[in-house]
Amino acid sequence: MNRIEKHVEEILKQMQSTECEREEIREELLSHLNEAKSDYISEGLSEKQAEKKVIAAFGESNRIGQGLQESMYPYQRGLLYFIGISTILFGFIFYLHLSFVIHEPSPVWLVVQLLSGSIVTLAAINISTFGRYFYLLNALLMVNIIWNGINIVSMQGLSQWQALFFSIYLLIVVGMGFVFVFRNSYYSTSQVDGKHQKQWLVKFSYIMNLLYGVIIIVLSLFFLWSILFFAGINKQAFITLLPILIWLAFYKFQMNFIAKKPVLSLATGLLVSVSALVLSFIILRISYGG
Amino acid sequence: MSLTMKNISFIVGMILLFLILWGAGYLAGGPEGYTGFGESADISPDDEEITFVYAHKGESAIYTAPVSGGNAELVTKAAEGNYLMNPTFSPDGEAIAYVEQWEDDDEHPLGKLMLFNHADGGVKELTDEKGLVTEAAFSPDGQSLYFSKAGVYTNYSPIASENPHDFDIYRIDLNTKEIEQITDEGAYDMSDLDLTPDGETLMYRSYDGADQLVFHDLKDGSETTVTPIGDFATGVPMIYSPALSADGKYIAFSDVARTSENGTYIYEGYRMPLDTKQAEQITSFGEHVTKPVFFNHQDKLIVTVDKAFATSSEPDYSYWVVNADGEGRERIQIEIP
Repeated sequence: MNRIEKHVEEILKQMQSTECEREEIREELLSHLNEAKSDYISEGLSEKQAEKKVIAAFGESNRIGQGLQESMYPYQRGLLYFIGISTILFGFIFYLHLSFVIHEPSPVWLVVQLLSGSIVTLAAINISTFGRYFYLLNALLMVNIIWNGINIVSMQGLSQWQALFFSIYLLIVVGMGFVFVFRNSYYSTSQVDGKHQKQWLVKFSYIMNLLYGVIIIVLSLFFLWSILFFAGINKQAFITLLPILIWLAFYKFQMNFIAKKPVLSLATGLLVSVSALVLSFIILRISYGG
Repeated sequence: MSLTMKNISFIVGMILLFLILWGAGYLAGGPEGYTGFGESADISPDDEEITFVYAHKGESAIYTAPVSGGNAELVTKAAEGNYLMNPTFSPDGEAIAYVEQWEDDDEHPLGKLMLFNHADGGVKELTDEKGLVTEAAFSPDGQSLYFSKAGVYTNYSPIASENPHDFDIYRIDLNTKEIEQITDEGAYDMSDLDLTPDGETLMYRSYDGADQLVFHDLKDGSETTVTPIGDFATGVPMIYSPALSADGKYIAFSDVARTSENGTYIYEGYRMPLDTKQAEQITSFGEHVTKPVFFNHQDKLIVTVDKAFATSSEPDYSYWVVNADGEGRERIQIEIP
């Protein structure tokens, strides 16, 4: 691999493009830089000198890569950093609050909180590794959203002002999470055949399908909270999270389907969401002997 | 910095952050325990003193204080880790009965009935340590104590929290210490025992599909239920913490007067004449009012107000004197030594 090829690979490390898109960019950049290299060689420079000059003229790889990432997937990496670091920061602030104000620190909670934030931050750092798998990123973000949703639910035990402050903080993080998932889902559309689809219809379908997800998450967490509130911690209570898992698993197929059949996917999304809720309700009833 | 170095630095940073926070949490120590007044208070036969529980960092003790407010006087402390509740004056004011509770290895509460005597300053255990006694009421002659005891501590439905159930009422003769079972109901819930002035009828609050007030004839064991009529926000009355007046003609209780903007039930004090059963709201705190107790010789009551109800995990109780006609109220300012 010559200097130019290495330089291009460094640039690509800053981008979340899929393998296919990566190949296109690689080819384009290489042809452009090799052309410039040929020009320098024709001006009398040696091959190595020409490569050095091309690279110097083209610019530093990190900067160029980040610029390309921003132009193709604007704010996505920044959003990941924001959500990841905000989640970690919440862990920091709230654990101190638990330790010094409430006097009931929970190290297990801290581990989950820091893990949840770290995974998202690591995805931002390693955007070229994680970013090309759009569904994986969405799943990571949804787990973060659900965890922070559980945090919001558990804030209700605090005094009014504490609950308000922490809930607003977490709502912003959760909101940003949804913004990311929506945009990420939309960007994944360009990777799927079906470019003839009207883009507003695709966007609308993503919004609606995410809305189903929001409703499922809110309902599931509400039922989880209700059961935990009235019955204390018990294993069966976590059956209430089943609709979220079903919705999340189905969303992998749904992302492709929305890009191809945005209208029909509204119906399939709704059907699966309702079925997931009904199924969980039945399992819950059976497990509670009712 | 290379990508690998960035990853390693970040992960090491996170592990360090966890260890620092964990250490800080460890150094901060465990929960301090509740500091503040207990829910229920009782008034002395001469209407001069109240008795109540006050906890300091989880250590609870029984105190008395002037009804007009002032310095509290320590009566007795709980054994370490135990908590005290439901103190009640004897009819001659010379003794205070109360319940001391603690948790067994399964974190299930157990409770015994205790009796403090002013004469010698001594405390006697009236029941063993195997049951879960919840509260007690003196007979009007002061010779015996009626107490409620739960048979089990469990949740009958998986979507309900664990609570004491299988209740029955017992009577202990304070001279012979003999215990006699009064009811044989294994009730789902049973609380707020009180006796009519003639000592012939026992009143308690129970649950049988709905909250109800039960009058148990101690002679023949027959029971009648009383349902207050009134304007309650929940439609049916919940009759929380009922108490009989000294003349036995009225019942005071706490019930849902309205729902706040954020959906919390606002409990206020009610008074109901037993002949008409028409309950009238006698407080308007707009906060959680509970545990009304009648004065013995005046047309007044003491109520407990929880200013932190539904807004905090810990209550913030204070005791107030209110007029039975609903006009006027005054907080009992108590200084704990």
